Amino acid sequence: MEENAYKSESMHEDAPKKPLMTAVGDFFKKDLVQYIIKRLLMFIPTLFLISILVFFVIQLPPGDYVSAHIAALASEGEIVDADYAAQLRADYGLDLPIHEQYFKWIKDIIWTPTDSTYYRLYGSHHNWKYSFAYGRDVWDVVDDRLGLTILVTAIIMIFQYAVSLPIAVYASTHQYSVGDYISSIIGFLGAAIPNFILAIVLMYLSYKWTGNANVGLFSQEMLQNGIHLYNFGEFLKRMIIPILVIGTSGTCGIIRSVRAQMLDEVGRQYTLTARAKGVPERTIIMKYCFRAAINPTVSGLGGVLSSLFSGSTVTAMVLNMQIQGPVLFKALQAQDMYLAGAIVMVQAVLVVIGILFSDIALAFLDPRIRYSGGGR
Amino acid sequence: MKKRLFALLLAGTMAASLIACGGPSDTTDTTPSGTQESTQQSSESNSEESNSEASNSEETTPPADEAAGYSEAPMLADLVSAGSLPKVEDRLPVEGDIFVDTKDAGGNALEIGTYGGVINLAGAGGSWGLSRPVLEGIIRYNSDGTYYANVIKEFSHNDDYTVWTFKLREGMKWSDGEDFNADDITFWYYMCHLTNYDTKKNWAALMDGEDTWATLEKVDDYTVTWTFTNPKFPADFIENGDFKWCWAPSHYLLDMIPDSIYVENPYWEKTGLDDEAVLVNAKNKGIDAATVNDLGKAIAYYWWNEDGIPCLNSYTLSTKEGNNSRDAQLCILERNPYFWKVDAQGQQLPYCDEIHFNTTSEDGQDQLMFRSGELDIMEVAMQDIASLLQDLGDQAYLRELASTNWGSYLMTFNYTCKDENYATLFANPDFRQAMSICVDREQVSGLLTEGFLEPGQCAPQEGNFGYDAEWEQKWTEYDVDGAKALLEGCGLVMGSDGFYDFADGTDFVLTIYTYTDSGADAAYPVLEQYYNAAGIKCATKDLEVSAFDQEIDNNDWYAVLGPHTAIGGVSLKSRVQPFVPIAQSAEWYGEYGTYYQTSGAQGVAPEGDMAKLVEIYEQWKSTPDTDERDQYTLDIYNLHKENLWTIAYLKAAGSYSLVSSKIHNYPELLVNDDLYQYQNIIHYWTLFKTE
Repeated sequence: MEENAYKSESMHEDAPKKPLMTAVGDFFKKDLVQYIIKRLLMFIPTLFLISILVFFVIQLPPGDYVSAHIAALASEGEIVDADYAAQLRADYGLDLPIHEQYFKWIKDIIWTPTDSTYYRLYGSHHNWKYSFAYGRDVWDVVDDRLGLTILVTAIIMIFQYAVSLPIAVYASTHQYSVGDYISSIIGFLGAAIPNFILAIVLMYLSYKWTGNANVGLFSQEMLQNGIHLYNFGEFLKRMIIPILVIGTSGTCGIIRSVRAQMLDEVGRQYTLTARAKGVPERTIIMKYCFRAAINPTVSGLGGVLSSLFSGSTVTAMVLNMQIQGPVLFKALQAQDMYLAGAIVMVQAVLVVIGILFSDIALAFLDPRIRYSGGGR
Repeated sequence: MKKRLFALLLAGTMAASLIACGGPSDTTDTTPSGTQESTQQSSESNSEESNSEASNSEETTPPADEAAGYSEAPMLADLVSAGSLPKVEDRLPVEGDIFVDTKDAGGNALEIGTYGGVINLAGAGGSWGLSRPVLEGIIRYNSDGTYYANVIKEFSHNDDYTVWTFKLREGMKWSDGEDFNADDITFWYYMCHLTNYDTKKNWAALMDGEDTWATLEKVDDYTVTWTFTNPKFPADFIENGDFKWCWAPSHYLLDMIPDSIYVENPYWEKTGLDDEAVLVNAKNKGIDAATVNDLGKAIAYYWWNEDGIPCLNSYTLSTKEGNNSRDAQLCILERNPYFWKVDAQGQQLPYCDEIHFNTTSEDGQDQLMFRSGELDIMEVAMQDIASLLQDLGDQAYLRELASTNWGSYLMTFNYTCKDENYATLFANPDFRQAMSICVDREQVSGLLTEGFLEPGQCAPQEGNFGYDAEWEQKWTEYDVDGAKALLEGCGLVMGSDGFYDFADGTDFVLTIYTYTDSGADAAYPVLEQYYNAAGIKCATKDLEVSAFDQEIDNNDWYAVLGPHTAIGGVSLKSRVQPFVPIAQSAEWYGEYGTYYQTSGAQGVAPEGDMAKLVEIYEQWKSTPDTDERDQYTLDIYNLHKENLWTIAYLKAAGSYSLVSSKIHNYPELLVNDDLYQYQNIIHYWTLFKTE
């Protein structure tokens, strides 16, 4: 490793710089392309196994959607007879053996033929089935909140990385300074306080200080008229609590991990060598130490795509944010298996894709990582 | 406050229930005598006696001043001026058929309101949520149990109760401006109901024996008759709590009726549409359905949840994308410009422009929103009342809907338990008495409700029909030694571990089922200590509600705390099932109900008093005489008193709402029951808001 580090330092000094695009091109020409193809092929059995797992795990609780639905109706004072329950089960195919239900589900997702009623109604070859609880096509329900979920989660993630990385670098380069202690304390507090508690406290404070608890991301006016330039400020104001709540805990985690890695890298021999050779401190920190230190963070990016899709469930519920997480929760509660199955399945696919992306990003960041040929 | 509540209820309900419980009795003409206007004072009670008892006649408000004409909300006046809406006179029914709303359901005169504003409520909740504040039924109840024609103008029957006549309001219109007439009744009956498209063909109200149904005839555009071969008494027809509406907008729904469900009838022909075609038509109207059965349920039963379907309610679901679903974060109901009710000054109702349902995802968010002024009316748990009222000061006031439940913290046992040892034990009244007296109710009240709910038994609460002080106090005196003696009298034997076993040496463990969010899971640890102290070993099984129901359906249970379908209610005329074991629904009769529902094919044949309940019910159903029906009801109640198939530890909790001081006409004290459609009794169309 020291040798590699030395080589890279030498290259810094002597080798002519390659344009970025050429570097990217070179990077993908190597064994990585082969690796990506292999990984893509691996998707098929992986997703197949995941789909089985998803379908059967969702079905594990006793009862089914119909029993949950009837229980809900009974709570509203309505009495449902056994014939109706049987008819519902027959309509939804819930009376079929579970393996038949599974194959029908997966077959329709992969390909629904043109001559089917579903295709004629929705114009899609991928029938994710019907959400019992929402009384709508599953993909319509998912699609409803997708944009907002991605927007909110992306804003929060940008906040997390924009705040945590500079602090982590500062803390590691100023170890045991006042700033380091402050960031450590904030980091520990942020990591230790459960999100939902922080959310409740912040909503309370918001109510005490402003007279408005800012429950939810949108005011009534926005919910009627949509978000426009004139009310975008109000929207951002309502984003403060979610950002603080969800962003802080993530931020704290990143700060702690990057700081620890940075401290590790800063003490390594290649850093000392670079410093001895007169490489500017800023370059040493940013180009070498930081690049190595964010490896674990980048590895964790595998879950980012999935998080973008689902958002933070518990916090979203506490803050009344209408994003995907609470929909999954409701679907699981109501045993709305096709909706829950669709969300979990899409999340699983995104995790698989996300892991592939993070592996590629890691290889790009750290030339020491290779994907074939064993321990070169 | 409680005493006042009970006094009011007692005065109202006892008098009216005894007289009006059965509705029409001897006379045949139920038309409110001499009224040109249909007012809420057009009482149900068609005998002279009940008319006077209902004390409505002297309060009848004269019709709106014809010279002054009718007025409307400014937002509608603007539309009229722009030429996009007919004049208010043309939107209301003809003179004399307009409903003049002058009093709330408690009989108090309504304040004349002003137009505008929005009523902000919390989320709509389940399938019925959007309908509760706005649904207009065939008849409408006062909180004392009296009732009168509502959507229909009049109802009457012939001498032998085989023909019922409904007269409609001439000139009344659907919310889209189309005429509402007899065709919409025949359409509903023959195309939506008898086809079972609404999945409610089993409504007893329109059944004429086992497998036949009433014959509906259109006499003219505004008159229909329901004909039965057997006498159809009020309790089984007009008063039947299921029979809330009998109309559907034929002009809008016709292209969503498939031929596959068609039944022969004299009024409507097949539409020529196959299943897929109606699904496509529905999709084009924004209605998503996986199957034709789903579509039928959506458009012919839960129609208020689909935007675009015309209705007769005070408010209609907005068609605006994003606000047109009960699942939306903000679901909006907009005023119906063709609503057929006016106030005493001829102002077309409703007063407020919109009702907003603000969905929240967690308990407590609604409180924050109420404090922020984002909600105007909010249901509140009893433990939060004091602190909220203290914080909010004069910004809000408290209102209560009294309960018709028969107590709280109810414990019931499986009398048809598969395990013979348990079934025999549960059948012994001494065991139930022991389970009742081994608990210190005073302490339970303090621990679970901070003393808010008083000790009590599973019995009609004070102010309700059938209230009996002796019953309410039966088996409530705390006596652990007495409980132990009773348990030993039941054949249980004290084991070496300090807990009772069955006489054959097998362990007696009382497994108590609860379902999540019922509140019973919190009560169990408190009650467990008392049971243990009396030598009863117990365990708990807290299940998600559907899993819980499945255990009940499968008869795989022993005892239940906080049953999902509890015993009791306003009276038999609301729903029979909570009092008589005739359905597959309530825990307290378990498989006995299945036996009746399946005509003996499944379930367990009841014996003794459980069987007597059904016998008396059959007599109750078969008499038009109000007094006789009340006596049968009391006979059924006496069997409950005797047996206490379910025991309760505390009195029933009411339903409490915090109301913003900006809201006016919110009634003071009403009753919460399915018969009254719960919140519907508030009459939201008469509420108005001032800043």
